[in-house]
Amino acid sequence: MSAAIETEKLTKTYGRSRGIRYVDLAVEEGEVFGFLGPNGAGKTTTIRTLLGFLRPTGGRAWVFGMDTRKKSVEIRARVGNLPGEFALEDRMTGDELLRFFARLRGGRDLGYARELAERLEADLGRPMRRLSRGNKQKVGLIQAMFHRPPLLILDEPTGGLDPLVQEEFLEIVSEVRAEGRTVFFSSHNLAEVERVCDRVGIVRAGQLVTVEHTRELVNKAFRHVSLTFDRPVDPEPFAALPGVRDLETEGERLSLTLHEPPDALVKLAARHRLVGLEYERPSLEEVFLTYYGGHENGGASS
Amino acid sequence: MSVGQTAPPREDAGPRRTHGRRTHPRRTHPRRTHGRGSSRTMFSLVVHTVRLQRRGALIWGVVLGLYSAAIVATYPTFGDVEQMNQLMQAYPEGMREAFNLEDMGTPEGFLDSQVFSLAPLALAFFAILACADAIAGAEERGTIDVLLGNPLPRWQLVVGNLLATALSLLGIVAAVGLFTWGTAVLVDVDLPLRTTAEAVINLWPICLFFGGLALLCSALFHRRALAVAIPGVVLFATYLVDVLGRVSDELEDLRPASVFYYYGSAIKDGIDWGNFVGVTLVTSLFVLLAVLAFGRRDIYT
Repeated sequence: MSAAIETEKLTKTYGRSRGIRYVDLAVEEGEVFGFLGPNGAGKTTTIRTLLGFLRPTGGRAWVFGMDTRKKSVEIRARVGNLPGEFALEDRMTGDELLRFFARLRGGRDLGYARELAERLEADLGRPMRRLSRGNKQKVGLIQAMFHRPPLLILDEPTGGLDPLVQEEFLEIVSEVRAEGRTVFFSSHNLAEVERVCDRVGIVRAGQLVTVEHTRELVNKAFRHVSLTFDRPVDPEPFAALPGVRDLETEGERLSLTLHEPPDALVKLAARHRLVGLEYERPSLEEVFLTYYGGHENGGASS
Repeated sequence: MSVGQTAPPREDAGPRRTHGRRTHPRRTHPRRTHGRGSSRTMFSLVVHTVRLQRRGALIWGVVLGLYSAAIVATYPTFGDVEQMNQLMQAYPEGMREAFNLEDMGTPEGFLDSQVFSLAPLALAFFAILACADAIAGAEERGTIDVLLGNPLPRWQLVVGNLLATALSLLGIVAAVGLFTWGTAVLVDVDLPLRTTAEAVINLWPICLFFGGLALLCSALFHRRALAVAIPGVVLFATYLVDVLGRVSDELEDLRPASVFYYYGSAIKDGIDWGNFVGVTLVTSLFVLLAVLAFGRRDIYT
């Protein structure tokens, strides 16, 4: 595989504290990459810099090997983009807009657009001013995807969509991946990212905190453990084990989070009569929150 | 902060590691938008923008056309030429010079003072509003990111919007001309079609001049209010300079700095093609500067 997106110390600042700083990132062709972070963390700034809408303050970025500062038009020819905050011309219908965008891209075939509209239950015949936010979002998604670009860049794609349509959208993303195309989408909906993304990058206060395979990120993280014994046990030896945090006792039951492999815990528990054991992986949301540690927003622009 | 450091991309590089994965020499996929592709996107943008402007253009054309038709229709009610000239003699000389009231006894002179010397003040606002909308307006409305998500060069957004506004303006002045000439035929006023055509075509470069200025402000400031206000102020200021320069010796030297100085009176004297082309070239300069400014700045939403 080669990189669909690559950045090197990409920096975009607006004054003192907003923007992104020294972002090094590589998204490979054919993968679905989730770009996670709270509002204002720098997700949209990164995306808009990749598309050439913002000039980097420092560093460089490439999309399919093309410099974003020099080849913005060529890049946009190969990218389908759904902006985070967008509007569509009020007086135009979805159908008229799609025809216009198709002409800009040198094509006229709206077959896939109609298929997407049917699947997402989008109304392409009504003017934008008469559509709800969710329905405009559907038109936005269709305009990003209808020309089957090799790279989809979607900023908060499921905002405003109802759960059934979200489900259908995630199915479409899976199909895009199956076709070998690349998807880069930002979200703060961790459940959807966990479902479809191969890897996730977590951005906080304008800085890329980590890039991990989704499964590895979840697997390497802590576990929620609940041990139920036949009688109350002394919690001190459990609390003393490496990696044990948030220990709570409630009668015969011990609850804790475990940040190390379970071997020592299991051996200690085996010294007692164990009548119940729950061992749960955290949601990606919990993993995500551990990176933020309660100080989410560093003032970065969204 | 960097995570999973990447080496600087190298066009000639072999495989290398990025975030623990092996990557291969980058492929480039140049899909150029030169030649046919470039003219295709420009043509599509112009057609799209004209469509968006057509309702406004229709309203402007009908309103200005009806106003001009009403003025033509009142001309026969003023009686003969001598009566009209005597009436005008009642005005101070300075006022007659400033507002072209010297030759009210002919249809051309009458329409010049009542319609065509004032029409740019109104019609220029069509071009100003349309061009201010092209960049700053699209940024404020939030439509620009979706539009530029397509392979559309920024320069085409600037030039395409001016071309579309120029076409819409042509439609408006054609409507004004038809209303004016049609009414003249109906009420039996001697107004040749060619003269009418020259009068309305002469509106085109001066209105587009202010459109070009609005486009430049739109590219520079990304605020629609400024892109409307600055050309609006310049419009009235240059008009005043030209009007007052006709009656004031102190201000006369300033008249060449006003675009209205080059507007002249096409309905009486025919189009001055030198001025026509000169004003159009200055508009082109505004557009060039707008292209340069917009090409170098961030796009705001």
